Amino acid sequence: MIQLSKFSKHFTNYTELRVQENQSMNITFLNGNLVGNEKKYTSGVSSRVFLNGSWGFASNPEMNDVNIIDTIKFANENAEFLSGRQSKNNKIYEGAAFSHSHNLGTKKNRISQKELMDFVKGIDAYIVKKFADVTSRTVGLNFLGMEKTLLTSVGSNRYSLWPRTMIFVKLGVEENGEPINAYEIFGGRGHFEDLFTNPSDLFEDIDKLYEHLKNKSKGVYASAGEKEVILDADLAGILAHEAIGHTTEADIVLGGSIAANYVNKEVSSHLITLTDYAHSYKGNLCPTPIFVDDEGTKAEDVVIIKDGVLKEFMHNKETAATFKTIAKGNARAYQYFDEPLVRMRNTAIEPGKSKLRDMIASIEDGYYFMKTGNGQADSTSEFMFAVTIGYEIKNGKLARGIRDTTIAGLAFDVLKSVTMVSDDMVWGSWGMCGKKQMIPVGMGGPAIKCRINVGGK
Amino acid sequence: MTKNKVVNKMMKLLAKENLEKYQIIINNSKKTEMVVERGEISLLRTTSDTNLRITAINENKKASVNINKVDDSSLEEATKNVLELLETSEVDDAYDISPFQEARQFESGSKEPNKEDMYKLITRFIGAVKLEYPKLNISESALTFNYTEVNLVNSNGVDYLQTKGIYSFYVVFTAKDGDNISSMNFVAFSMNDLEKDLLDTATLRRLIKENIEQLETKPITEKFAGDVLITPDYLAELIATFAGIGLSDGALIAGTSVLKDSIGKEIASPKLTIRSNPRSKHICDGYSITSDGFEAKNLTIVENGVLKNHLLGLYGAKKTAKKRAENSGDAYVVDPGGVSYKDMVKKVKKGILLSRFSGGNPSPNGDFSGIAKNSYYIEDGKVQYPISETMIAGNIYDMLKNIKEISKEQVNFGNALMPWLLTTGVTISGK
Repeated sequence: MIQLSKFSKHFTNYTELRVQENQSMNITFLNGNLVGNEKKYTSGVSSRVFLNGSWGFASNPEMNDVNIIDTIKFANENAEFLSGRQSKNNKIYEGAAFSHSHNLGTKKNRISQKELMDFVKGIDAYIVKKFADVTSRTVGLNFLGMEKTLLTSVGSNRYSLWPRTMIFVKLGVEENGEPINAYEIFGGRGHFEDLFTNPSDLFEDIDKLYEHLKNKSKGVYASAGEKEVILDADLAGILAHEAIGHTTEADIVLGGSIAANYVNKEVSSHLITLTDYAHSYKGNLCPTPIFVDDEGTKAEDVVIIKDGVLKEFMHNKETAATFKTIAKGNARAYQYFDEPLVRMRNTAIEPGKSKLRDMIASIEDGYYFMKTGNGQADSTSEFMFAVTIGYEIKNGKLARGIRDTTIAGLAFDVLKSVTMVSDDMVWGSWGMCGKKQMIPVGMGGPAIKCRINVGGK
Repeated sequence: MTKNKVVNKMMKLLAKENLEKYQIIINNSKKTEMVVERGEISLLRTTSDTNLRITAINENKKASVNINKVDDSSLEEATKNVLELLETSEVDDAYDISPFQEARQFESGSKEPNKEDMYKLITRFIGAVKLEYPKLNISESALTFNYTEVNLVNSNGVDYLQTKGIYSFYVVFTAKDGDNISSMNFVAFSMNDLEKDLLDTATLRRLIKENIEQLETKPITEKFAGDVLITPDYLAELIATFAGIGLSDGALIAGTSVLKDSIGKEIASPKLTIRSNPRSKHICDGYSITSDGFEAKNLTIVENGVLKNHLLGLYGAKKTAKKRAENSGDAYVVDPGGVSYKDMVKKVKKGILLSRFSGGNPSPNGDFSGIAKNSYYIEDGKVQYPISETMIAGNIYDMLKNIKEISKEQVNFGNALMPWLLTTGVTISGK
């Protein structure tokens, strides 16, 4: 860990100084062929400076004292370049200094590269042995680790180490000569040693994935139009993130999001409370816990919707000053050479009181959507999510599987149509959100019953 | 031998290990970026980075390590890491590096940005938008200059140097009028210089005008199979998706591509010719070398509807016993047709003008569904009104077979050259 305090004497304006290393590793088998076997290390120093309403940023991969001092100097020069040419009245919320250190790395002995490789091969071998009609398969292990040290001119200090490890399994079968796929991701926050023990621990879930895939291959195309549906936790989580979360990021709000008009207004069913959790949910750490953000702000939960009423937006220091409010730790950067942006952390709809089985039983003709592929949303709150695993609901019971489809709607309208919320809570730890830069995020929720547009033939 | 000292050091370290084959790519990059937020230049960002990628093959096992530190101890550590990964790797006869080719250097663009001109150009763009399109919000935008110096060498004696300086611009925008807001849209393009006003480059002015029209939209209230007139903006995305599910290493090794045995066969309308032209003078943001160590050449992918080439790299080609592509894809060009855009609209009885598509990744069989964004309803040869909450579903391969017309006009995005394309048989459904 680099001690940054000795560089504070070079801070002449509002300044952030960050040293960061990202590590990643990938092992991927495609149909038994090792197509990915690599590691990546990216580290360096960056500095961001605020001067008369303009920001300057500079970074350097080399982290000796001279380069760190130069990086601060270049960030100042960049801020001066802009502030010398434009007159702006922007302010920033400075907040109080806050220091925090957290290391989420494993305390166990690290296992060898061979053991990691054997684990992935063990899963691949199980699939080959168990499922004779699987025509394509991908099994992979992905690791991402982010280690950050931050010092700001306000006096905030931060050290954090956050690891995430995921096992990815994608299976394909052919039906009448057409390839049909389905996939599942296992793991989440933590090093491999804290998440996985034996490949056989995943076999039951892989069996379930295969069953869903077979049902999908023998299944039908969804019927297009507005339908009554159950969105399982995976989809409720992405709804919270993509469709509501992004429209309530303050930079998007200032850029024209429809949510700008909705503060303190009823925007959803009263059954909906939606929060961007900083680091913990009911005493347990969330997938991407943030205690201090990359601007040095102490991280707190942001309650976006409370009992159906839109309450607050997510801010960085600059948008907080614009809205005359406080920042709660949503400014995050992906790589050392990236500037902090307003980002979500762990966005989730809170559980309700209904039982999933009762929710399914309450639908005469609709769908149960279980897994999503990708999602996008608009400043109007119009969203689209891919559905990769789902079933028809006929007369209150699950029926045929469905092929890949897409669901869409205006998020606030869809949330107004919610009539039941299940009492369980599932976190998705695999999220990677793209907004100029990528950033890992957590998202979660219960199952919700609502009306939604289904794309189909 | 290469002039890059780091690469020479790395080559010596790997040679000491008696490895059978190895390849080193070093990419030194410098970026200057002016970021616009909410209609003002908010940030000037200058970054420099190095990426050193070491790939080693021994006893038919392969491993790669990427680092961004090039001091002696980092190079030694990287060597140790790649050897460790090699030890646990799998035997595969298809692992290889490119054979000897004559050393070459490729240069394009300038080495340094003109910061003053960047500032002036983007300031002029912001000013013009405020004056001419006061209802438009620039949500997010950046003008960037990126200089990269890539040196690729391998143990067969390959030694390529590619230097490239390129400006690129992207902008995300929405229109706002009272409580009404339009669906966001965006444009991205690359350019060699800063001569042309941003507003008049690629499709930017047209999309801004349309975005303001899209403050008032109507959903389509029925479901029908109709025509889709695809804009150059979305066509660039569609062709990249087609290449991903039908022509790429992953799809062909997995065997999920429906085009795996289609070389020489008609897979699309005879009106369609698709090229990947990274070396074309019309593509300023192309490339001269591939990541597996070959000089890139322009490539015809589909000619008059017939599939000519997959996009297989060296490994994918060996693995599938098919021909290696002479480039790595991208830089797509769809050849122009003989009809004007205006005449294409006149040919549409009932359908939509599809400007942007928000949808799930298509299935390997080409099926897709999603929302038609920033799009218009067309009936009886006339663009009628902007639409909202309209979903479309179809099959990519069928869309390419059902092409009715391709426009004679093309739009140059710097990294793609695309016309308008009219196809049919897509399910369009409203609320």
